[in-house]
Amino acid sequence: MSFVRYVRNIRRIGLSQWWHQLQYIGDAKYGRLVGTDQFGNKYFENLNPDDELPGRHRWVDFAQHYSNATQVPPEWHSWLSHIRLPPPMEDSVMQNMSPPWKAPWTENLTGTRGAYRSYNTVNPKINAWEPKVIARGEAHP
Amino acid sequence: MSFARPRLALGLSPRILAKQRSIALPSSIIAYRNIHSSRCSHASPLESPGRLEGPVSIKSPPLGAGSLTAKDEPGKDINPYKDGQSAIDKAVHLFFFTEIIRGMWIVMENFFRQPYTIMYPYEKGPLSPRFRGEHALRRYPSGEERCIACKLCEAICPAQAITIESEAREDGSRKTTKYDIDMTKCIYCGFCQEACPVDAIVETQNQEFSTETREELLYNKEKLLANGDRAEAEIAANLHSDHVYR
Repeated sequence: MSFVRYVRNIRRIGLSQWWHQLQYIGDAKYGRLVGTDQFGNKYFENLNPDDELPGRHRWVDFAQHYSNATQVPPEWHSWLSHIRLPPPMEDSVMQNMSPPWKAPWTENLTGTRGAYRSYNTVNPKINAWEPKVIARGEAHP
Repeated sequence: MSFARPRLALGLSPRILAKQRSIALPSSIIAYRNIHSSRCSHASPLESPGRLEGPVSIKSPPLGAGSLTAKDEPGKDINPYKDGQSAIDKAVHLFFFTEIIRGMWIVMENFFRQPYTIMYPYEKGPLSPRFRGEHALRRYPSGEERCIACKLCEAICPAQAITIESEAREDGSRKTTKYDIDMTKCIYCGFCQEACPVDAIVETQNQEFSTETREELLYNKEKLLANGDRAEAEIAANLHSDHVYR
Protein backbone atom coordinates (compact mmCIF):
# COMPACT_ATOMS: atom_id res chain seq x y z
CA MET A 1 0.00 0.00 0.00
CA SER A 2 1.16 3.47 -0.78
CA PHE A 3 0.96 4.83 2.75
CA VAL A 4 2.93 1.94 4.19
CA ARG A 5 5.58 2.36 1.49
CA TYR A 6 5.75 6.07 2.18
CA VAL A 7 6.35 5.62 5.90
CA ARG A 8 8.80 2.81 5.23
CA ASN A 9 10.80 4.97 2.84
CA ILE A 10 10.88 7.87 5.31
CA ARG A 11 12.31 5.54 7.93
CA ARG A 12 14.91 4.34 5.43
CA ILE A 13 16.09 7.67 4.05
CA GLY A 14 15.79 9.79 7.14
CA LEU A 15 13.91 12.97 7.81
CA SER A 16 16.34 15.41 6.18
CA GLN A 17 16.49 13.44 2.93
CA TRP A 18 12.72 13.08 3.03
CA TRP A 19 12.37 16.86 3.34
CA HIS A 20 14.82 17.33 0.46
CA GLN A 21 12.87 14.95 -1.77
CA LEU A 22 9.63 16.60 -0.80
CA GLN A 23 10.96 19.87 -2.18
CA TYR A 24 11.82 18.36 -5.54
CA ILE A 25 10.42 15.00 -6.54
CA GLY A 26 7.48 15.26 -4.16
CA ASP A 27 7.65 11.70 -2.91
CA ALA A 28 9.65 9.60 -0.50
CA LYS A 29 11.82 7.33 -2.60
CA TYR A 30 14.47 4.96 -1.41
CA GLY A 31 16.98 3.35 -3.73
CA ARG A 32 20.52 2.41 -4.54
CA LEU A 33 22.82 5.24 -5.61
CA VAL A 34 23.92 4.11 -9.05
CA GLY A 35 26.23 6.96 -9.87
CA THR A 36 26.93 10.65 -10.08
CA ASP A 37 27.58 12.53 -13.29
CA GLN A 38 30.04 15.35 -13.93
CA PHE A 39 27.52 17.96 -12.84
CA GLY A 40 26.79 16.34 -9.48
CA ASN A 41 23.38 14.94 -10.37
CA LYS A 42 22.76 11.73 -8.48
CA TYR A 43 21.08 8.76 -10.10
CA PHE A 44 19.14 6.20 -8.13
CA GLU A 45 17.55 2.89 -8.88
CA ASN A 46 15.23 0.60 -6.97
CA LEU A 47 14.13 -2.53 -8.77
CA ASN A 48 12.05 -3.90 -5.90
CA PRO A 49 8.44 -4.00 -7.13
CA ASP A 50 7.19 -3.59 -3.58
CA ASP A 51 8.86 -0.20 -3.39
CA GLU A 52 8.62 1.26 -6.86
CA LEU A 53 6.26 0.67 -9.71
CA PRO A 54 7.78 -0.25 -13.07
CA GLY A 55 8.58 3.00 -14.85
CA ARG A 56 9.37 4.80 -11.61
CA HIS A 57 12.34 2.66 -10.70
CA ARG A 58 15.04 5.03 -12.00
CA TRP A 59 15.26 8.64 -11.00
CA VAL A 60 17.63 11.54 -10.74
CA ASP A 61 18.29 13.99 -7.95
CA PHE A 62 19.42 17.20 -9.60
CA ALA A 63 22.34 19.15 -8.25
CA GLN A 64 20.84 22.51 -9.10
CA HIS A 65 17.82 24.01 -7.47
CA TYR A 66 16.45 25.33 -10.76
CA SER A 67 16.54 22.01 -12.48
CA ASN A 68 15.35 20.93 -15.85
CA ALA A 69 15.50 17.72 -17.75
CA THR A 70 18.31 18.81 -20.09
CA GLN A 71 20.78 19.00 -17.21
CA VAL A 72 21.15 15.27 -17.59
CA PRO A 73 24.10 14.51 -19.92
CA PRO A 74 23.33 12.21 -22.87
CA GLU A 75 25.08 9.19 -21.42
CA TRP A 76 22.93 9.26 -18.32
CA HIS A 77 19.93 10.31 -20.40
CA SER A 78 20.21 6.93 -22.10
CA TRP A 79 20.15 5.21 -18.75
CA LEU A 80 17.39 7.37 -17.27
CA SER A 81 15.12 6.92 -20.29
CA HIS A 82 15.54 3.14 -20.05
CA ILE A 83 17.26 3.03 -23.43
CA ARG A 84 20.31 1.24 -22.06
CA LEU A 85 20.38 -1.20 -19.20
CA PRO A 86 23.78 -0.61 -17.56
CA PRO A 87 24.78 2.82 -16.28
CA PRO A 88 27.35 4.61 -18.48
CA MET A 89 30.41 3.84 -16.40
CA GLU A 90 29.66 0.10 -16.68
CA ASP A 91 28.50 0.29 -20.29
CA SER A 92 31.39 -0.92 -22.44
CA VAL A 93 29.60 -0.07 -25.69
CA MET A 94 28.95 3.50 -24.64
CA GLN A 95 32.53 3.94 -23.42
CA ASN A 96 34.05 2.52 -26.58
CA MET A 97 31.82 4.74 -28.70
CA SER A 98 32.80 7.93 -26.89
CA PRO A 99 35.13 9.84 -29.19
CA PRO A 100 38.03 11.94 -27.90
CA TRP A 101 36.55 15.03 -29.54
CA LYS A 102 33.32 14.79 -27.59
CA ALA A 103 32.10 18.26 -26.67
CA PRO A 104 30.99 19.13 -23.13
CA TRP A 105 27.28 18.95 -22.52
CA THR A 106 25.32 22.11 -21.96
CA GLU A 107 21.76 22.29 -20.87
CA ASN A 108 19.07 23.95 -22.93
CA LEU A 109 20.10 27.60 -22.79
CA THR A 110 17.00 29.11 -24.28
CA GLY A 111 15.91 32.28 -22.57
CA THR A 112 19.45 33.06 -21.46
CA ARG A 113 22.34 34.92 -23.08
CA GLY A 114 23.84 31.65 -24.18
CA ALA A 115 20.85 30.78 -26.32
CA TYR A 116 21.53 29.71 -29.86
CA ARG A 117 20.96 32.36 -32.51
CA SER A 118 20.68 31.32 -36.08
CA TYR A 119 23.02 32.75 -38.69
CA ASN A 120 23.90 32.12 -42.29
CA THR A 121 26.94 29.94 -42.88
CA VAL A 122 27.50 31.04 -46.49
CA ASN A 123 27.84 34.37 -48.20
CA PRO A 124 24.50 35.90 -49.07
CA LYS A 125 23.42 35.42 -52.69
CA ILE A 126 21.56 38.70 -52.90
CA ASN A 127 23.37 41.83 -51.76
CA ALA A 128 22.08 45.31 -51.31
CA TRP A 129 23.22 47.89 -53.84
CA GLU A 130 26.36 49.62 -52.75
CA PRO A 131 26.78 52.78 -54.83
CA LYS A 132 30.30 53.70 -55.81
CA VAL A 133 30.97 57.36 -56.45
CA ILE A 134 33.49 57.91 -59.21
CA ALA A 135 35.72 60.89 -58.81
CA ARG A 136 35.49 63.67 -61.34
CA GLY A 137 37.75 63.37 -64.34
CA GLU A 138 38.17 59.61 -64.13
CA ALA A 139 37.14 57.40 -66.93
CA HIS A 140 33.87 55.62 -66.66
CA PRO A 141 34.45 51.94 -66.14
CA MET B 1 -60.60 6.95 -7.62
CA SER B 2 -62.42 10.17 -7.04
CA PHE B 3 -63.59 10.55 -10.59
CA ALA B 4 -64.70 6.97 -10.91
CA ARG B 5 -68.01 7.54 -9.18
CA PRO B 6 -69.48 10.32 -11.35
CA ARG B 7 -68.46 8.43 -14.43
CA LEU B 8 -70.03 5.36 -13.03
CA ALA B 9 -73.24 7.27 -12.50
CA LEU B 10 -73.04 8.55 -16.03
CA GLY B 11 -72.41 5.09 -17.29
CA LEU B 12 -75.18 3.57 -15.37
CA SER B 13 -77.93 6.08 -15.99
CA PRO B 14 -78.42 5.42 -19.70
CA ARG B 15 -78.51 1.74 -19.02
CA ILE B 16 -81.35 2.22 -16.56
CA LEU B 17 -82.99 4.57 -19.03
CA ALA B 18 -82.64 2.02 -21.74
CA LYS B 19 -84.25 -0.60 -19.59
CA GLN B 20 -87.32 1.54 -19.19
CA ARG B 21 -87.61 2.18 -22.91
CA SER B 22 -86.71 -1.30 -23.95
CA ILE B 23 -90.14 -1.83 -25.35
CA ALA B 24 -89.78 0.92 -27.93
CA LEU B 25 -86.27 0.33 -29.27
CA PRO B 26 -84.65 -2.86 -30.41
CA SER B 27 -82.09 -4.11 -27.99
CA SER B 28 -79.32 -4.21 -30.61
CA ILE B 29 -79.46 -0.45 -31.12
CA ILE B 30 -79.39 0.14 -27.42
CA ALA B 31 -76.40 -2.10 -27.09
CA TYR B 32 -74.67 -0.19 -29.89
CA ARG B 33 -75.40 3.14 -28.29
CA ASN B 34 -74.25 1.87 -24.92
CA ILE B 35 -70.81 1.01 -26.20
CA HIS B 36 -69.45 4.54 -26.06
CA SER B 37 -71.41 5.75 -23.09
CA SER B 38 -70.62 2.87 -20.78
CA ARG B 39 -67.19 2.25 -19.34
CA CYS B 40 -64.80 0.01 -21.08
CA SER B 41 -64.89 -3.28 -19.29
CA HIS B 42 -61.51 -4.71 -20.28
CA ALA B 43 -59.49 -1.60 -19.34
CA SER B 44 -60.07 -1.94 -15.64
CA PRO B 45 -61.56 -5.28 -14.87
CA LEU B 46 -60.86 -4.97 -11.19
CA GLU B 47 -63.16 -1.99 -10.85
CA SER B 48 -66.33 -3.40 -12.19
CA PRO B 49 -69.37 -1.48 -10.91
CA GLY B 50 -70.66 -4.40 -8.95
CA ARG B 51 -67.56 -4.65 -6.82
CA LEU B 52 -67.27 -0.99 -5.95
CA GLU B 53 -70.85 -0.18 -5.24
CA GLY B 54 -72.19 -3.46 -4.29
CA PRO B 55 -75.17 -4.96 -6.07
CA VAL B 56 -77.38 -2.52 -7.92
CA SER B 57 -80.42 -3.86 -6.20
CA ILE B 58 -80.78 -6.00 -3.17
CA LYS B 59 -82.97 -8.36 -5.06
CA SER B 60 -81.43 -11.53 -6.30
CA PRO B 61 -80.49 -11.41 -9.97
CA PRO B 62 -83.06 -12.68 -12.40
CA LEU B 63 -82.88 -16.04 -13.93
CA GLY B 64 -80.46 -16.37 -16.78
CA ALA B 65 -78.30 -13.42 -15.67
CA GLY B 66 -75.59 -15.72 -14.45
CA SER B 67 -74.67 -15.54 -10.81
CA LEU B 68 -70.93 -16.25 -11.08
CA THR B 69 -68.49 -15.58 -13.89
CA ALA B 70 -64.80 -16.36 -14.16
CA LYS B 71 -63.83 -13.01 -12.76
CA ASP B 72 -65.88 -13.59 -9.70
CA GLU B 73 -63.65 -16.45 -8.78
CA PRO B 74 -61.94 -15.60 -5.48
CA GLY B 75 -58.25 -14.69 -5.68
CA LYS B 76 -58.32 -13.73 -9.34
CA ASP B 77 -58.79 -10.03 -8.72
CA ILE B 78 -55.91 -9.62 -6.30
CA ASN B 79 -52.91 -7.84 -7.83
CA PRO B 80 -49.96 -8.42 -5.52
CA TYR B 81 -47.80 -5.73 -7.28
CA LYS B 82 -50.52 -3.10 -7.30
CA ASP B 83 -49.25 -0.95 -4.46
CA GLY B 84 -45.50 -1.77 -4.58
CA GLN B 85 -42.64 -1.63 -7.05
CA SER B 86 -42.60 -3.75 -10.12
CA ALA B 87 -40.04 -6.52 -10.42
CA ILE B 88 -38.04 -4.45 -12.92
CA ASP B 89 -37.96 -1.50 -10.53
CA LYS B 90 -36.65 -3.69 -7.76
CA ALA B 91 -33.99 -5.18 -10.03
CA VAL B 92 -32.94 -1.76 -11.29
CA HIS B 93 -32.60 -0.39 -7.78
CA LEU B 94 -30.65 -3.38 -6.64
CA PHE B 95 -28.19 -3.38 -9.52
CA PHE B 96 -27.72 0.37 -9.71
CA PHE B 97 -27.14 0.61 -6.00
CA THR B 98 -24.59 -2.15 -5.98
CA GLU B 99 -22.95 -0.59 -9.01
CA ILE B 100 -22.41 2.60 -7.05
CA ILE B 101 -20.99 0.63 -4.17
CA ARG B 102 -18.71 -1.33 -6.48
CA GLY B 103 -17.53 1.84 -8.20
CA MET B 104 -16.78 3.48 -4.89
CA TRP B 105 -14.86 0.41 -3.83
CA ILE B 106 -12.62 0.69 -6.91
CA VAL B 107 -12.05 4.36 -6.12
CA MET B 108 -11.08 3.50 -2.58
CA GLU B 109 -8.74 0.73 -3.70
CA ASN B 110 -6.90 3.05 -6.04
CA PHE B 111 -6.84 5.79 -3.44
CA PHE B 112 -4.67 3.64 -1.23
CA ARG B 113 -2.59 2.28 -4.08
CA GLN B 114 0.67 3.78 -5.25
CA PRO B 115 0.03 6.24 -8.09
CA TYR B 116 1.26 5.42 -11.56
CA THR B 117 2.30 9.02 -12.21
CA ILE B 118 5.84 9.41 -13.46
CA MET B 119 7.35 12.53 -11.91
CA TYR B 120 8.72 13.83 -15.18
CA PRO B 121 11.95 15.73 -14.83
CA TYR B 122 13.17 13.26 -12.23
CA GLU B 123 11.79 10.07 -13.68
CA LYS B 124 11.24 9.43 -17.35
CA GLY B 125 9.21 7.07 -19.42
CA PRO B 126 10.98 4.55 -21.59
CA LEU B 127 12.38 5.66 -24.95
CA SER B 128 13.36 3.54 -27.91
CA PRO B 129 16.88 3.67 -29.34
CA ARG B 130 15.09 4.50 -32.59
CA PHE B 131 13.40 7.52 -31.05
CA ARG B 132 13.38 10.50 -33.42
CA GLY B 133 14.14 13.72 -31.62
CA GLU B 134 16.40 16.66 -32.27
CA HIS B 135 18.64 16.40 -35.30
CA ALA B 136 22.41 16.15 -35.25
CA LEU B 137 25.22 15.91 -37.79
CA ARG B 138 27.78 13.28 -36.94
CA ARG B 139 31.49 12.98 -37.46
CA TYR B 140 33.77 10.05 -38.16
CA PRO B 141 35.82 8.85 -35.19
CA SER B 142 38.71 10.79 -36.69
CA GLY B 143 36.76 14.00 -36.34
CA GLU B 144 36.01 14.40 -40.04
CA GLU B 145 32.50 15.43 -41.00
CA ARG B 146 30.45 12.58 -42.35
CA CYS B 147 28.18 14.60 -44.59
CA ILE B 148 29.19 14.40 -48.23
CA ALA B 149 26.53 16.81 -49.51
CA CYS B 150 24.70 14.21 -51.57
CA LYS B 151 21.44 16.04 -50.81
CA LEU B 152 19.42 12.83 -50.49
CA CYS B 153 17.94 14.06 -47.23
CA GLU B 154 17.01 17.34 -48.84
CA ALA B 155 15.33 15.45 -51.66
CA ILE B 156 13.37 13.08 -49.48
CA CYS B 157 12.31 15.54 -46.81
CA PRO B 158 8.49 15.66 -47.12
CA ALA B 159 8.29 18.96 -45.30
CA GLN B 160 11.16 20.45 -47.33
CA ALA B 161 12.77 21.60 -44.13
CA ILE B 162 16.38 20.94 -45.20
CA THR B 163 18.47 23.33 -47.29
CA ILE B 164 21.92 22.30 -48.44
CA GLU B 165 24.64 24.09 -50.36
CA SER B 166 27.99 22.53 -51.06
CA GLU B 167 31.46 23.42 -52.23
CA ALA B 168 34.63 21.51 -52.85
CA ARG B 169 37.09 21.93 -50.06
CA GLU B 170 40.74 22.74 -50.60
CA ASP B 171 41.71 19.08 -50.36
CA GLY B 172 39.14 18.26 -53.03
CA SER B 173 36.47 16.63 -50.85
CA ARG B 174 32.98 17.95 -51.28
CA LYS B 175 31.42 19.20 -48.07
CA THR B 176 28.40 21.26 -47.22
CA THR B 177 28.79 24.94 -46.67
CA LYS B 178 25.21 25.29 -45.65
CA TYR B 179 23.10 22.68 -43.92
CA ASP B 180 19.99 24.30 -42.53
CA ILE B 181 17.05 22.51 -40.97
CA ASP B 182 13.96 24.49 -40.19
CA MET B 183 12.82 22.68 -37.07
CA THR B 184 9.49 24.44 -37.23
CA LYS B 185 8.82 22.71 -40.53
CA CYS B 186 10.26 19.34 -39.58
CA ILE B 187 7.72 16.60 -38.93
CA TYR B 188 10.28 14.18 -37.39
CA CYS B 189 9.52 11.42 -39.85
CA GLY B 190 13.10 10.15 -39.85
CA PHE B 191 13.37 9.91 -43.63
CA CYS B 192 16.54 12.00 -43.63
CA GLN B 193 18.43 9.61 -41.41
CA GLU B 194 17.19 6.65 -43.42
CA ALA B 195 18.18 8.28 -46.69
CA CYS B 196 21.64 9.20 -45.50
CA PRO B 197 24.27 6.85 -46.98
CA VAL B 198 26.94 7.76 -44.42
CA ASP B 199 24.83 8.07 -41.23
CA ALA B 200 25.63 11.75 -41.07
CA ILE B 201 22.24 13.23 -40.26
CA VAL B 202 20.57 11.44 -37.36
CA GLU B 203 17.76 12.17 -34.99
CA THR B 204 18.99 11.98 -31.45
CA GLN B 205 17.07 10.93 -28.38
CA ASN B 206 16.93 14.50 -27.15
CA GLN B 207 13.38 15.75 -27.08
CA GLU B 208 13.92 18.61 -24.66
CA PHE B 209 15.02 21.33 -27.06
CA SER B 210 12.09 23.66 -26.68
CA THR B 211 12.93 27.30 -27.23
CA GLU B 212 11.51 30.63 -26.26
CA THR B 213 11.76 32.16 -29.72
CA ARG B 214 11.01 30.80 -33.13
CA GLU B 215 14.36 31.96 -34.44
CA GLU B 216 16.24 29.49 -32.26
CA LEU B 217 14.62 26.61 -34.12
CA LEU B 218 16.21 27.55 -37.45
CA TYR B 219 19.22 25.27 -37.10
CA ASN B 220 22.29 25.77 -39.20
CA LYS B 221 25.23 23.50 -39.79
CA GLU B 222 27.22 24.61 -36.78
CA LYS B 223 24.34 23.96 -34.42
CA LEU B 224 23.73 20.53 -35.90
CA LEU B 225 27.41 19.62 -35.67
CA ALA B 226 27.50 20.85 -32.08
CA ASN B 227 24.52 18.63 -31.29
CA GLY B 228 26.36 15.69 -32.73
CA ASP B 229 29.56 16.50 -30.88
CA ARG B 230 27.79 16.70 -27.55
CA ALA B 231 25.72 13.56 -27.86
CA GLU B 232 27.97 11.36 -29.98
CA ALA B 233 28.34 8.67 -27.31
CA GLU B 234 24.59 8.21 -26.99
CA ILE B 235 23.98 8.35 -30.77
CA ALA B 236 26.69 5.81 -31.50
CA ALA B 237 25.52 3.47 -28.75
CA ASN B 238 21.97 3.59 -30.07
CA LEU B 239 23.08 2.91 -33.62
CA HIS B 240 25.22 0.06 -32.33
CA SER B 241 22.31 -1.48 -30.44
CA ASP B 242 20.16 -1.39 -33.57
CA HIS B 243 22.73 -2.19 -36.23
CA VAL B 244 21.68 -5.84 -36.47
CA TYR B 245 18.21 -4.79 -37.61
CA ARG B 246 19.23 -2.21 -40.18
